[in-house]
Amino acid sequence: MEELFAPPAYEWKRLSPKFRSMRILTSLIVPPLIFTIAAIIVGVASGKWWISGVIWAIAAVIVIVRLGFVTRSWRSWGYVEREDDLYITHGVMFRNLIAVPYGRMQLVEVESGPLERAFGLASVTLKTASPETGARIPGLTPEEATRLRDRLTELGEAHASGL
Amino acid sequence: MTSSQPPQHAVDPEVTTPPGPPAAAGAAPKPTERPHPLTPFVRGWLVFVAIAIGWGREIVTSAGENQFEPRGLAWLLPILGVVVLLAAVTGFISWYFTRFVIDDEELRIETGAIFKKSTKIPFERLQSIDIIQPLAARMFGLAELRLDAGNSTTKLRYLTRSRASRFRDYLLARAHGHQASIHDLDQQSVASVFTDLDVTDQPLVQVSPQRLIISFLLSTEWLIPAAMSIIILVATSAFGVVPFALGALIPLVIGMLSLIWRRVIGMFNFTLAESSRGLRITRGLTNLTSQSVPINRIQGVKTSQPLLWRPMGWYRVDIDILGYAHGDGENNESTSTSVLLPVASPEEVELALGRVLPGFDLDGVELHTSPNRARWLRWFDFWTLRYGWDDRILITEQGWITHVRDVVPHAKTQSVRIEQGPLQRALGLADVHVHTPQGPVNAVAHQLDEHAARDLALTQLDRARAARTAEREHRKVRVAPNDDHEGEAELLAAFGIRRDQLLGSGGESEVFALDHDRVLRLYRSRHGAPRQTAFQLRALYETWRGTDIGIELPVIIDMGERNGRFYTVDRRFSGRSFSSWLQSAETTQRRPALISFFDATEQLQRLPCPVPGFARLIADGAPQQFSSLGELLASMLQGPLETSRTQLERDVPGVDEVWNRLHRDLAERSVAPALVHGDVCPPNAYLGQRQQGVVVTGIGDFSPHTISADPLMDVAGALIFLELEPYADAPADAAWLEAMAVERHGREIVRWIDVYRRYYGFYFSNAYAFDPTLYAWCLRQLSR
Repeated sequence: MEELFAPPAYEWKRLSPKFRSMRILTSLIVPPLIFTIAAIIVGVASGKWWISGVIWAIAAVIVIVRLGFVTRSWRSWGYVEREDDLYITHGVMFRNLIAVPYGRMQLVEVESGPLERAFGLASVTLKTASPETGARIPGLTPEEATRLRDRLTELGEAHASGL
Repeated sequence: MTSSQPPQHAVDPEVTTPPGPPAAAGAAPKPTERPHPLTPFVRGWLVFVAIAIGWGREIVTSAGENQFEPRGLAWLLPILGVVVLLAAVTGFISWYFTRFVIDDEELRIETGAIFKKSTKIPFERLQSIDIIQPLAARMFGLAELRLDAGNSTTKLRYLTRSRASRFRDYLLARAHGHQASIHDLDQQSVASVFTDLDVTDQPLVQVSPQRLIISFLLSTEWLIPAAMSIIILVATSAFGVVPFALGALIPLVIGMLSLIWRRVIGMFNFTLAESSRGLRITRGLTNLTSQSVPINRIQGVKTSQPLLWRPMGWYRVDIDILGYAHGDGENNESTSTSVLLPVASPEEVELALGRVLPGFDLDGVELHTSPNRARWLRWFDFWTLRYGWDDRILITEQGWITHVRDVVPHAKTQSVRIEQGPLQRALGLADVHVHTPQGPVNAVAHQLDEHAARDLALTQLDRARAARTAEREHRKVRVAPNDDHEGEAELLAAFGIRRDQLLGSGGESEVFALDHDRVLRLYRSRHGAPRQTAFQLRALYETWRGTDIGIELPVIIDMGERNGRFYTVDRRFSGRSFSSWLQSAETTQRRPALISFFDATEQLQRLPCPVPGFARLIADGAPQQFSSLGELLASMLQGPLETSRTQLERDVPGVDEVWNRLHRDLAERSVAPALVHGDVCPPNAYLGQRQQGVVVTGIGDFSPHTISADPLMDVAGALIFLELEPYADAPADAAWLEAMAVERHGREIVRWIDVYRRYYGFYFSNAYAFDPTLYAWCLRQLSR
């Protein structure tokens, strides 16, 4: 099964472990926060606090499931710079592997949101002329992100072929 | 309506006129002009709004007994008035500050009242030019010119329709690198008001209104909302609760109306035509749109067939055109520009695909089915899933209610993705997506065996890479003038000339002006044996010395090699290029010049040949003699056919028969051999002023086409190559010239012109790789 998504004769590069920490934190904070707000509104409005209890329980289940998946999801990510193209794979349940030829890259973006910055992370996005390409690698260290960007731009220029 | 006022602001420094011959004209600011003065009215949709007000008032007054409150709507009128006034004012301001120049030097559009913007588009950047006539503009005989240059679209609105189409023809000529002149274009034939097709355009496919409407009524996308509305109506009226259904019905009806608008009104009178500048689509009942199809920007083709079209064998064809998907809601153009054929028979589809994907063999691709276990996931259409590829294209097929076939040339593949969900994993299946730029084409090979999927995805990248490399090679050949400058700068510097002294360029060499009497012919660095060609040409020209046939012929003064480049110094022809003159000349001038061109061609056969008998004169081992005309011409065709044979077998039904017939005909021809230029066409002829008027005074560019054979070949060539000239009346002129040839030489010449049409059709057929227009011409010759 694994071999369907393995790159030919290359080792996947993995994401920074900080990405997992960030995902654990967001899993612990975001669903409880949203559900708590919902639970309080329901409780105050209806006065039936047992409904709020159910909502909290759902939040707890979601947090547990998500935490269970965080490590697997983090491990599922991988990318590899091959001679002529970049491979990216991810997904636990729905898996996919995308291959972008360097010659097709039009734009390489490095982004880092406030949360990512707090964890010392950045993501790299590759754009081609096709909107479906959607090649994004999250959870890279800033050094790796800039290295990847420079490397990809350089390779993109070397392979550039127009349309 | 040329304005006498100077431009409103300083001219962009880059935009100053290049140092042209009339120095005085370069100094004065160039007169710019505004679009048509009716523009603000049309542009603000004032007409539409005025009608809407009149109509709205009627509703308000007549709807008194309904639940509408007349007074409630009445206070809307002043607001509407303000809106109309604002639209008028902004429309006027924007018109007032819009100025444009389209002349022999530049294409520039200036807009903006406060923030000035000057857009100058280099001619060669123009990708396609569309003419769009919204209903309101059409009522005033106005049209919008939409200029597509790579990533940006510039609109120029509105101009009178005849000016718009004149500008289009001129700009397209310039975009193709022809040296046309904007002046004297007024003589061109005016296109039909309903289809915007010139007389010279050859319609390939025309969709009749009956077929369009029937196909629309039978299409799945129409039947589903129609059936849903009927079910809702029946169900709700059975329970007597029709008003409750309105919430669902209104969006449905709106959707259906927009579908009618796009698919029927917008596609009315749909015509796919072949013009001298490639394919052109014209369509529309209210809004008339005329767009060119930039073949090199097509990224993929989608053929679809709704279930109920199957008995009629109809198909719909859409294409991905790079850059056409960008949002442009105003005329609802974004959804429809990608339609190549709204409904067509298999023969018409094949014809059109042969033009947009020249050289691709769609039927020869072996298609694979998805494994049987795919039925668990795609129980509704698993038997329709197919995928396959050859060395140039990838094909995927799917769908039962609407059967869809997507075709992506490997060279256009952007990226590849393998996807697998949990159920697919359990079954060992996976999907492969091949990404193309935004558009209707969405090639997905569904539910493959996972090993086949991996194989397909990874090898697809290799195929894409190989195809891109091959395409790049082609392009290098095509845009060689920009590519092989190696050593050129030094060489030009040594002669004390600059690149802008370039007079012309061809497949083998570029020609620069040295002075009034001499030109520098620089052979391309990829040219196989420039030295051999030049030596053989010089020897040939030597044998002509002392023979006066009344026209100028080329003379090689000097030759040499420098910085790794081979060059010759040739005598400069007096006069100007016949081809560029033709495009701007009036009929009354053109016809006498064409006669002189014909006369000059007939004189060529008086030139002495260096060897007796049928022979190749400029080639490896030349002069190479042949015992018969047929053998010589078979040898001439050998090279081109090596590359184009498989191509022709696909594109010309019964090409073997055409080939055999050509050889039977040639075997019957008995003629004394004489010198044949082999490529007598207006770009190789020069024009000068003589007592009798403007006449052809010289013929140049002898080349490997030059042979010793049937002198009728040049006579035929002179009139049939004229059809390739990019001016509107060229085909008419060619027919006229043919009639004159018949007058001079008798009826039997018609047969031989026809034979040589087929010969040249084969001879130039290797153009499929680099010149679609020429290749299309070849196909026409071979299908006669």
